[in-house]
Amino acid sequence: YDPRRVCINPFPNLNLHIGKYRRTIGVYTAGGLFAFAHWLFLDAAVLSSHYRPPADAPYDTAPVHVTFVDWVPGILSVLGFLIVNMIDKDRIKGEEAYADPRAVWRARLILFIGFALMAGGLAGSVVSTYGVSYSVLALTEKLKTILVIKYVVKNYPERFTYYGYANVAQNISVMLSAVVLWMAQSVPSDYEYNLSI
Amino acid sequence: MAAGLKTVILLSFVLAVGFLLIILSCALWANWLPLLVALTFVVAPLPNAIFAHCGTDDFSTDGEGSGPVDLGRFITSMVVVSGFALPLILAHAQIIHPAACVMSIIGGGLVYGTILAYTATFSQESEDF
Repeated sequence: YDPRRVCINPFPNLNLHIGKYRRTIGVYTAGGLFAFAHWLFLDAAVLSSHYRPPADAPYDTAPVHVTFVDWVPGILSVLGFLIVNMIDKDRIKGEEAYADPRAVWRARLILFIGFALMAGGLAGSVVSTYGVSYSVLALTEKLKTILVIKYVVKNYPERFTYYGYANVAQNISVMLSAVVLWMAQSVPSDYEYNLSI
Repeated sequence: MAAGLKTVILLSFVLAVGFLLIILSCALWANWLPLLVALTFVVAPLPNAIFAHCGTDDFSTDGEGSGPVDLGRFITSMVVVSGFALPLILAHAQIIHPAACVMSIIGGGLVYGTILAYTATFSQESEDF
């Protein structure tokens, strides 16, 4: 048993055999996923604000719009993403140079907060999409109509439930991006190897 | 340097075609929003270029494992994806014509490809010291 280990079952060591460009490719992929996530949500927001009634019913109004509440899960996810990636990875592992156990403990706590923020963002997007009856938070009628069931439960046509699905997909993509970035940056660098040569 | 001259002429030609496509995609439908795509792709290589010299020293191989370099790559990748996503979203919301979307994406890809090819072609000489 290695006391520096974080998990009982260590993460599988993915050897993708991309060689020395693995870190570069991982970072590029993470950036792309991050941007993709936010454009997906912005697509829903732009669609909502440029809503046009269908041709056969030109006076219909949209029953639902993307409002600020829909932005909140994404903002939480981005906060979590930033927190998770600002932590020094060596400190989490408890390497020799950072032997202070309190510092390791604090780093892991902050890491936990970061992941909790991302998971909270994801859960929030699912809640506002599928609508769990969230009566504890529904302090006012206004809040109730927002949090309880925004899109799916009310049986809106598909072009409106897309707003909710885009929100969920955005938060999943941000999490994926964080995972990819983490894996890419955990690859041991060639630094020591070069020095020994 | 005849080969270098030919490369420069070819690249500038491709760059001009790219900008032509983007400007056409704006002008044909009198909707100048796709011009943002050109701006995006011109900005795209900047973060990489700015952060490329951070954190490199004599021992590490081309900046592997440096935080600022990673940040530059992350931002570059974000901007490139934005360049492709922006016209798609505008077309999806029926703000621009779908043909304008296709033209501006192809034009933006040509512009960005030109910049990449240019740096790839002419960065060799400085590394051979």
